[in-house]
Amino acid sequence: MASTRLNVPGLDGRCAGASRAAATLALGGADLASLAGGSPVASEFPLPAVQDLDRFENNVQELVKPEHGTTTLGFIFRDGVIIAVDSRASQGSYVSSQTVKKVIEINPYLVGTMAGGAADCAFWQRNLGMQCRMFELKNKKRITVCAASKMLANTMYSYKGMGLSMGSMIGGWDPSGPAIYYVDSDGQRTKGTIFSVGSGSLYAYGVLDQGYKWDMDVDTAVELGQRAIYHAQFRDAVSGGTCSVYHITKDGWTKIRGNNHYDMHYQYYPGGHPTAANDVI
Amino acid sequence: MEYVMGIKGKGFAMVCTSATAVQQIITMKHDEDKILPLGTHTMVATSGEPGDRVQFSEFVAANARLYALRNKSKLSTKAIANFTRGELATALRKGPKSANLLVAGYDKGKGASLYFLDYLATLHSMNIAGYGYGSWFVLSMYDRMWHPDLTEAEALEMMRLGIEEVKNRLVVASPTYTVKIVDENGIRTIPL
Amino acid sequence: MSISTYNGAAIIAMSGKDCVAIGCDLRLGIQNQTLATDFKKVYKIHDRLYLGLAGLATDALTLNQRFQFKHNMYKLREERNMKPATFAHMVSKTLYEKRFGPYFVEPVIAGIDDDGTPYITGMDSLGAMETSKDFMVAGTAPNSLWGVCESFYRPNLGADDLFETISQCLLSGVDRDALSGWGAVVYVIAKDKSFVRTLKGRMD
Repeated sequence: MASTRLNVPGLDGRCAGASRAAATLALGGADLASLAGGSPVASEFPLPAVQDLDRFENNVQELVKPEHGTTTLGFIFRDGVIIAVDSRASQGSYVSSQTVKKVIEINPYLVGTMAGGAADCAFWQRNLGMQCRMFELKNKKRITVCAASKMLANTMYSYKGMGLSMGSMIGGWDPSGPAIYYVDSDGQRTKGTIFSVGSGSLYAYGVLDQGYKWDMDVDTAVELGQRAIYHAQFRDAVSGGTCSVYHITKDGWTKIRGNNHYDMHYQYYPGGHPTAANDVI
Repeated sequence: MEYVMGIKGKGFAMVCTSATAVQQIITMKHDEDKILPLGTHTMVATSGEPGDRVQFSEFVAANARLYALRNKSKLSTKAIANFTRGELATALRKGPKSANLLVAGYDKGKGASLYFLDYLATLHSMNIAGYGYGSWFVLSMYDRMWHPDLTEAEALEMMRLGIEEVKNRLVVASPTYTVKIVDENGIRTIPL
Repeated sequence: MSISTYNGAAIIAMSGKDCVAIGCDLRLGIQNQTLATDFKKVYKIHDRLYLGLAGLATDALTLNQRFQFKHNMYKLREERNMKPATFAHMVSKTLYEKRFGPYFVEPVIAGIDDDGTPYITGMDSLGAMETSKDFMVAGTAPNSLWGVCESFYRPNLGADDLFETISQCLLSGVDRDALSGWGAVVYVIAKDKSFVRTLKGRMD
């Protein structure tokens, strides 16, 4: 096993053995390797030559904390699954991007949402896409949402304590019907019908719970998803940008909407917003 | 967990607070009234540290009453809100009072008003306002439902939905709540 | 989170030819929670003098009340309005009085003298004045605001062009700040024509 290390005189070699063992173990060991048939993903990440790796990684996490604010949501209703997300990335109070794509299209029947570390979400969900494809080729059938989310949760659990940051919903359609699973970097994984993740999730829940009905038609459901994201973007300073809405049916996912918050606002409130009680000027 | 929400409608203002008195992990009481009248057409919904909350709101109520007795004229809601802000702001750099308030009132000729006044003495007039973890869920819901011609029945339904949402989503939600309304007829408690 | 970024604010002042402009955003928030979108941070002292207060909202309210009071007292004594420079020094002095327990605000003062000469100054929370010939910014997004102002500002603009410039700077600047924005308001002060306009901005 060839792992590259920082060549720091004095430090080098003191800790790398234990750290590397941890990294190999963390990748899910034999399980993942056999499933993916020798995963092309580096089965070793180069580890920094420091003595206390866990603490070092936690410190690094503090330094590179992108995607601090986010609102994502997903729910199941009569005609499938709705996934809606915002598109803002921030570093502290600085808005670093308004056009982040927070829905990761794992395959035509499966999407994942991004909250937490952008790189962690993007990398491991792409990795999940590969694992799902390997499963398909091996078993000649599509993977279930249940199994796919479990693979992601296993990956997350194997890295527990190493500073990964991800709060994700895996939504899709399989032979048993529509499903959404919540998976996070603590290793939690749970099935549900309504989820919202991110700093603006509480605001989204408020709107979602008030408007949700199992029997909604597709237009109502799409509008509810957009509206919940819109209000979260309004109230939460670190959520914003645009709102993308995906609809998943037995035929797979389609992106239904992608609206700028500015346009949504002046469409919903051409004559002023409820938070404005005073005439400005 | 303490919950305070307020809504300004057409010709009235309505406030809702949790009705529990809590000591550490124990709920001591389920019918604590945290909405104090300040005269006939103004009330203040309070949250914060129990001692500060009660002492401070009673102090404001007493001063509003004293002014009315001395001058044979009531203070407007705006005047009370600004007086209260002044007291909180002065206290802020001496011994801060941990009291978050919503001042709601109805004034003849001016209509209803709702003032947000937090423990830092940040004062602002709002259509919907709230404090506590519950407000995170409920503010967005109220943004969705509020409109300028809001009726009393609609506002009460919003209050009910807010309480339902908090009980549904918040781990530390209170089991009981008080709702009061102020309009041209004065202050009334609305049974839930 | 720092106390001066608790509520969020963005203020710009710019000087033109015989005119000045001062604008602010309209958000009132508590950290990441937006509470209101009609909270003005620029206050009128008199027809030709405006004061912007960024920073902690409660201190901005308190200070505005104190300055209104002081200006009223001055008018009673002197039977005239304060000159912008006089007012600025009064603000500076008032802030320094609280040297060891400051008000957490950053003032920006914009006005014109009787002959129309523009006057712009900014200050830190202790009252250290920094007068400027061109523009001054304050708030939670100073880097963004300085950047746009440096790029778009031109000297000797007329009132209408100055309004356009300050408005574009303000709207672009706050779009990169999570804690300010949600609409804006701009005051243009000139000898013969003064006006105020509310700007439509992003509400996220």
